[in-house]
Amino acid sequence: MSDDGAHDVAVALPRTPLTHEDLDRSNDRLRVYNARRGGRRWFLVWLLIGPGILAMLGENDGPSMISYTATGATYGLGAFVPFTLLTFAMAAVCQEMCMRVGAVTHRGYGQLVIQRFGPLWGWFAAGDLILTNLVTLVAEFVAIRVGLRYFHVGAAASAALGVALVATTMSGGRYWRWERAVLALAVFNGLFLVAALLTHPRAGTVGHALLTASPFPGGSLRTLLLLVASTIGATVTPWMIFFQQSASADKGMTPADLRHGRYDTVVGACLAALFGIGAMVAGAALYPHGGGNLNGLSGLGFPGALRALDGHTVGTVFALGLIEAGAVAVLTISASTGYAVSECIGAPHSMNNSVRGAAVFYGANLLAALVAAAVILIPGAPLLSISLNANVLATVLLPVSLVFLLMLANDRELMGPWVNGRRRNVVAIAIVAVVSAAGGAYALVSFLQTVHLL
Amino acid sequence: MFEEPSDPDTHLELDQFVARTSRPVRRAALGSRSQAGLWALRVAAIVLGAMVIYTFVYQLAN
Repeated sequence: MSDDGAHDVAVALPRTPLTHEDLDRSNDRLRVYNARRGGRRWFLVWLLIGPGILAMLGENDGPSMISYTATGATYGLGAFVPFTLLTFAMAAVCQEMCMRVGAVTHRGYGQLVIQRFGPLWGWFAAGDLILTNLVTLVAEFVAIRVGLRYFHVGAAASAALGVALVATTMSGGRYWRWERAVLALAVFNGLFLVAALLTHPRAGTVGHALLTASPFPGGSLRTLLLLVASTIGATVTPWMIFFQQSASADKGMTPADLRHGRYDTVVGACLAALFGIGAMVAGAALYPHGGGNLNGLSGLGFPGALRALDGHTVGTVFALGLIEAGAVAVLTISASTGYAVSECIGAPHSMNNSVRGAAVFYGANLLAALVAAAVILIPGAPLLSISLNANVLATVLLPVSLVFLLMLANDRELMGPWVNGRRRNVVAIAIVAVVSAAGGAYALVSFLQTVHLL
Repeated sequence: MFEEPSDPDTHLELDQFVARTSRPVRRAALGSRSQAGLWALRVAAIVLGAMVIYTFVYQLAN
């Protein structure tokens, strides 16, 4: 985009020297250009998918999958199947805006907020993200630990493996390689669907829940609000916004790629919804056997309970699924922390840069993983409570990120003709209202009950 | 459909080069109502976030 809002393409080399990052991105664009020119449609799809699927499957993370399973084990399927589909539809709307802003402006979310609205807002958004990311990363390491415990691997080894994974995948100095490595790992999120099928669910039960949204869960207002807030927090979060916009820019997407970016986002949302419901169906197998009283994080957790019910295979598949969910989320969430910190202080922030060339980006990426890994090694740390509250905290702080995203997507000076349309704005504003109401209501009700005013 | 140049040295849009993305964009001119709305949002997020953290800590302590 040029300064006057018109789209322009390069017709000559810029006068400034090319960086290593420019050259790597240019090579990726050459492949996209050749695939488009040669009419190789599926190859073009293959080249352009990535940020959307990673954001969506990254959010099908350890605490989210444990939360879906706990919901199924406690309440059966009921209203949560259609509600989960609805929340992923909401996520797709939000993430499409991130992809579009990243592809049109070629800048990350933190960078744009800080430059467009000032450092106070930029750091507020980044601080909000760093807080929720650290809490969520702890929960991811907990999920990896629960999964590996099933295979008799200890906490220290689980923490070391998670950190080693972050260090290994980011050492390539190339966005494309990192993205493909994490995508390959994310495919195994489908293990939750396999686990669901291994519990032999009745198709009629799932179909009934989907079509009638019943039975509706009972319980106190606080419990219901917690369930709604944590389910929203399991599908739309601040890190996804930072990640997909920054990753779309880092990948080198342009307005010409918006259609494929939408495919990427929608396919990611559909896969994530399918696998999330898979975890819920697997959990629902425990429902008639007192599943509501299970602690999914202690002992062998849900993998152990499923093994006792349906055999060793389903327990193993579920444990592997938890390891994958935690591992992919550790990679994507620590990357979003790296993008946010380096964008806000104006440091180089690209996977196409070398570790020396983008020391702050890679350092923040690794430091976030190290801090979270260290927490799970603290004896007696309240891991269950951290995992449950991670999604709720993300929901409460999400409206700030969504409002800025909405403002950026409507900024004609930045976005030119690719600003939000009227219908998209109506839907996006409704999503902000629902998320704000759910998070605010839970925070208020639980606080008032805690201080005995309700 | 946007035509991209075929020269192997110029596969990026002009504003995609690091030299261009490093240049800050202009600061947005927000009206007083927008400013007030954003401040209200900031205060609400801080208050609600503090409530969740307080509840979390209280549950841990008890």
